[in-house]
Amino acid sequence: MTNEEFLTEMQDVLQTEEDLSMDTVLDGLDEWDSLSVMATMAFLEKSFGVKTTMKDYKDIKTIGDIAKKAGL
Amino acid sequence: MISFTSEQRFIVTGASSGLGEAAALLLNELGASVIGIARNQERLEAMKATAKYPENVFLEQKDLTENIKGLPAYVKALKEKYGKFQGLAYCAGISQIQPLQFLDYNDLKKIFDINYFAPVLMIKGVADKRCNIGAGTSIVAIASIAAFARDKGHLSYAGSKAALSASLKCISKEVIGRGIRVNCVSPSNIKTPMNTGMEDYEESQKNLYPLGFGETKDVANMIAFLLSDKAKFISGQNYVIDSGGVL
Repeated sequence: MTNEEFLTEMQDVLQTEEDLSMDTVLDGLDEWDSLSVMATMAFLEKSFGVKTTMKDYKDIKTIGDIAKKAGL
Repeated sequence: MISFTSEQRFIVTGASSGLGEAAALLLNELGASVIGIARNQERLEAMKATAKYPENVFLEQKDLTENIKGLPAYVKALKEKYGKFQGLAYCAGISQIQPLQFLDYNDLKKIFDINYFAPVLMIKGVADKRCNIGAGTSIVAIASIAAFARDKGHLSYAGSKAALSASLKCISKEVIGRGIRVNCVSPSNIKTPMNTGMEDYEESQKNLYPLGFGETKDVANMIAFLLSDKAKFISGQNYVIDSGGVL
């Protein structure tokens, strides 16, 4: 998955109309709530085979941090 | 009194007949715009022809089971065409009477496709933050009292409706924080085209219907109420409409 494809996928995961970049700060998005964290966890596991826990999200601050978890 | 404006757009599936047609016509009569979806264009046109405000009825011919996984994207495309939605009445569905000994996987899949997978993915589309108006959005799906009853031969239909009503409760918890309400209506036998040819069955069940068999309008009234702001305090519920006697 390219970075661009990843950003498009994340738009759907978060159901956001915002244009996302790797620098987008998650706390700055209205859509970033506990459900979005759950959706992101499911996305990482389904698309990249990467399991994350709620604890991991304390250190995840940007879209780029999620991409790093995905191995991009 | 319940009333809507033409700026309030509702998707109604199964809109060409039965409960869907009754819901589409009632919502339109109450002032809302309706995007009516069904497989049969001719019957959709016939529904529109009887609408009080046909200029606020928009028709979309589609078989919801043709590409189920594409339904969220389909809703998004409808949003681009019509604007954000106030809600959804998912009324499409099929019934099937087959005992276990005559049932195979394809029968089960067929009924779960239209009665479970399609509504859940249509709801996913409408609940998408980009496709609805936000707080005040309301979603209603038709389940059935079959989910509670224990009738022989109804295992696939009952299973699909029980699964739907259970999932709707979970969905309501997920979206309530955004002011989106999700409810279920579970009718008993209603006089609809889906139930034609079941006169013998109805006759045998007559004593269970002290108020008589339901009309489509009886269910449409509940749908309209739940979609309206008169029900703004109600979500995650499953309303049984059963002539006061089946359950």
